[in-house]
Amino acid sequence: MSATSNVDRKRPTINQQNVGSLVIATLFIIVAVITLYDTTHYSDMDSKVFPRACAIVLLIFSVATVIWELIQPSNVDGFGSGHWWRRITLVMTMLLACLAMPHITFIPAGGIAFIGGLIAAMHDRWTSHTLLLYWGSGAIIIVAFHSFFKYVLYVPLP
Amino acid sequence: MDVSNFLSALTPLNLVLALCGVIAGTVIGSIPGLTATMAVAVLVPITFSMEPASALILLGAIYTGAIYGGAYAAILLNTPGTPSAIATTFDGYPMAKKGDGDLAVAIACFSSVAGGLVGALALLFLAPPLSKVALAFGPVEYFWLSIFGLSLIASLSQGNLVKGLVGGAFGLILSTVGIAEISADVRLTFGSQTMIAGFEVVGALIGLYCIPVLIDLAAVPDRHLKVDKNVGSLRILEAAKITFRSKFNLIRSAIIGTVVGILPGAGGSVAGLVAYSEAKRTARPEQRFGEGEADGIIATESANNATVGGGFIPTLVLGIPGTPPDAVILGALLIQGVRTGPTLFDGGGTIVYTFIYGLIIATILMLPTGLLIGRYAYKTIITIPKAVLVPTVGFMTIIGTYAIRNSISDVIIMISLGIFGWLISRFGFAASPIVLGLILGPIAEQGFVQSWIIGSATNDLWGMFFGRPISLVIVAFTVLSLSYPLLTKLRNKQKEKAA
Repeated sequence: MSATSNVDRKRPTINQQNVGSLVIATLFIIVAVITLYDTTHYSDMDSKVFPRACAIVLLIFSVATVIWELIQPSNVDGFGSGHWWRRITLVMTMLLACLAMPHITFIPAGGIAFIGGLIAAMHDRWTSHTLLLYWGSGAIIIVAFHSFFKYVLYVPLP
Repeated sequence: MDVSNFLSALTPLNLVLALCGVIAGTVIGSIPGLTATMAVAVLVPITFSMEPASALILLGAIYTGAIYGGAYAAILLNTPGTPSAIATTFDGYPMAKKGDGDLAVAIACFSSVAGGLVGALALLFLAPPLSKVALAFGPVEYFWLSIFGLSLIASLSQGNLVKGLVGGAFGLILSTVGIAEISADVRLTFGSQTMIAGFEVVGALIGLYCIPVLIDLAAVPDRHLKVDKNVGSLRILEAAKITFRSKFNLIRSAIIGTVVGILPGAGGSVAGLVAYSEAKRTARPEQRFGEGEADGIIATESANNATVGGGFIPTLVLGIPGTPPDAVILGALLIQGVRTGPTLFDGGGTIVYTFIYGLIIATILMLPTGLLIGRYAYKTIITIPKAVLVPTVGFMTIIGTYAIRNSISDVIIMISLGIFGWLISRFGFAASPIVLGLILGPIAEQGFVQSWIIGSATNDLWGMFFGRPISLVIVAFTVLSLSYPLLTKLRNKQKEKAA
């Protein structure tokens, strides 16, 4: 009994974090296999040699990662603390703004991204002062950057 | 080269142009997505009505300012403002997180000025002989140079070399997406029109470096950077002391930057990475690279600014642009009717020597302006409420990435890569090896395939890859770079045993 518990204490066990590492390493294995498959369609040897070599290296080291994680689970952070809804709001509003940009033009799309980011990153209590100040500064930043890029740098913004 | 050229560079108009160029370049370079190439390209039309020397001074000042400006975002936001500042993030951001962001910005300024001066002086005194270096570099040397850059993966793997190699190989695969440069096969696009042009490197590195920081910032209520209460200056004297104490690292990195700048197509990002790798290889045992080591910033910033002068050497002597902004400047020169070539330096070389003196003056002017703008940038980043900082930076990443190719797809890819970068970073896979692979992949592939073709045609593959002196020197440095940490460990163990 005591011998078993000693062994258990010495050997790190697989936890949620290591499962994450395994999933990512497996994802890289899939990428390597897809790359190897894709290279079979290239007409020229010159196009194949480099991606194929990289895919083989990726495959070998991804498999090594999987084996290593199973034998000796590494010490990784995992997702850590923090609010998931804030993370999701931030990236989703940025993506939404990009998808909407061709349809609603740049300034409203920029507004969506900014408001999403503002809501996601605001950890203090909203007051009428912060509401006015932050939203107002957001409007100024968006218009200023839009003008700079469009009229000074001649970037054809939607 | 005489005094009259120096005096021509000192006219009020040229001084004003140098100053304005440095300021404009620094501001543009500090915005993620706006590269030095874009800064120069956008402002080229202004120079058409100017005298050629004045036009060159303005463009050179914009270029050098933009390369330095990239350090602000790298240090304060973990986002390289320009690709040249990639390696600045490795130690700059950790320094800022520890509360030394002001010091890091000032060190970057001193190093950039010193590196810029070394590059400009090389241009002044050694341009014609050094231009031969550009011609001595064939495809195989480029291949080995990129492999040397990739050896940095060993030190960027955050303690897990295997995961670092996975990231590096993944980055190399990403770099092959799109049309193959040599044989024009369409690779890894899966029928998507968007992917035919491949991954946009600047957008990808904004995504991989900046978006994970934003995701983390939004999720927790902590402050963005640790700040001392007595914020007021950039700790200029302390920064000067630290920078010039590492004079060997400073000069070596500036020389690396100058030489890499001479090589067409290599550019500031490769120079910064190679110099960082060398600084890390020769570090003292107590130095902790990747955890906020000032020498990392010194190496990168002096090297990337030295590429400005270095890049002008083949541009002006051979008409071969050393870096992408040089290509734009070369175009501007041709429009002005200036013919580049060795004859440009003959017979007094009024235009070229006035320009070189102007570039030196602009680099010196970068010290006060850089410190001033740096102080303002630092104060803004630390005083702006996080609730405004996060959406502002997020918005800047969108507009900056869009501006590179006027493509919304690039922005979506940038955000997706950012989410991916954040996810993998949680499980011990670092983003830096991926970026390294993405940047060095095309150079490595082109060099390898061209060398392979030449070697096969001459029936001397072995000699092609291992029989050229410059290649052998780079191979030796690569082996040294990879084995040095191991050798140091073994030596320390032996010392411990002996003790």
